[in-house]
Amino acid sequence: MAALRSTSRLVASSKPLFRPAVFARSYATVEAAAQDPNPSEAPRTKTFHVYRWNPDQPTEKPKMQSYSLDLNKTGPMMLDALIRIKNEMDPTLTFRRSCREGICGSCAMNIDGVNTLACLCRIPTDTAKESRIYPLPHTYVVKDLVPDLTQFYKQYKSIKPYLQRDTKTEDGLEFRQSPEDRKKLDGLYECILCACCSTSCPSYWWNSEEYLGPAILLQSYRWLADSRDEKTAERKHALDNSMSVYRCHTILNCSRTCPKGLNPARAIAEIKKLMASH
Amino acid sequence: MASIARQSSFLRQTCLSAFRSPLATRNGAGVSQVVAFHASAKKQILPPLPQTIQGTMNDAAPIPTPHPSEGSYHWTFERAISVGLVPLTIAPFAAGSLNPVMDAVLCSFIVLHSHIGFQAAIIDYFPSRRVPKTATFCSWLLRAFTLTTAVGLYEFETNDVGVTEAFKRVWKA
Repeated sequence: MAALRSTSRLVASSKPLFRPAVFARSYATVEAAAQDPNPSEAPRTKTFHVYRWNPDQPTEKPKMQSYSLDLNKTGPMMLDALIRIKNEMDPTLTFRRSCREGICGSCAMNIDGVNTLACLCRIPTDTAKESRIYPLPHTYVVKDLVPDLTQFYKQYKSIKPYLQRDTKTEDGLEFRQSPEDRKKLDGLYECILCACCSTSCPSYWWNSEEYLGPAILLQSYRWLADSRDEKTAERKHALDNSMSVYRCHTILNCSRTCPKGLNPARAIAEIKKLMASH
Repeated sequence: MASIARQSSFLRQTCLSAFRSPLATRNGAGVSQVVAFHASAKKQILPPLPQTIQGTMNDAAPIPTPHPSEGSYHWTFERAISVGLVPLTIAPFAAGSLNPVMDAVLCSFIVLHSHIGFQAAIIDYFPSRRVPKTATFCSWLLRAFTLTTAVGLYEFETNDVGVTEAFKRVWKA
């Protein structure tokens, strides 16, 4: 199988314009897994309840649809289960996914009551318990498990997430940083903006129009803490109102849910300390 | 063998919509049932807002007008009061002396602390963006309550035994 696949890659790369359909790269399938490694093993059937809503039938209420999968033939992660459902049972199931290794943030969803990335969430092996998968809470749903993150990205844009600097360095080279200053950005730059934390925050549920939410505030602090950025005062001034930062009531759902193990609540606390000391 | 398997899976993906019903019967154990998501009444306490987002998707979200007295100063003031309440609450009982000035300071801190706390709750749950009339009503109601509490505590301090002594008596009763 592996040898054949590499051959097909070679053929496809040598003739990219006339790629026959047989050699076209298809979506990930479970053909390999379908050849049961342990045929004697009893099937471990687990039920997944998935939130469904179709914008083509806007008058129909959202519903939960159940799917049963044999865990022996499914990959270990929730995303594997979803891909298998989409490939083998119901191609109408819609969800976002891209990297399958927790670096793109596309597959953020609410699994068994916790916002997380489906690709980083193991399927609980207890088959007696059924899993429930919903889109991120308190978001406008585009379809099934796809939330509308427009407001989230607009808020990200509003904090100017880029280096702002007027002066050049003396030698005209790049803006350098001491290792200590660089260390301040650890735990901040890893954020992939999956929106798990923001959509787990009750304050963000009530006031997402004005409150920036943990993910955006963590990014905001990432630029406030950057020693190379020269617009710290302007950044702080833009946050100095009752809604942008101070709707945070240290509920700490953000730090609890973060699939990357970051601590947005600490970043918000640092922002509050910075704002108090000017 | 593998190529045949891949091809068949590819074909199946493209043609699945055409053959969905025979497939569904074959995978009958898989897609089991569809249940209603919720059975809530049509009457809602707060009907959902129109699901729109201001501006185009390429605009940045608007930055509110900077207002330090509602932002950073407000937060510093709030924290100072919260921190100050801790020694003020312990001191009269630890020291055993009942100073009316200390009592007055404690009372005013309690009034301010609860006012700020309720104010935050009103901003959270009745945002003027969404329910402007209710927000105004609630904030005036809160001011009335705070004033009543302040007057009541003043009366209690001047004409009666005062907060600390009252707690002491209740504790020993």
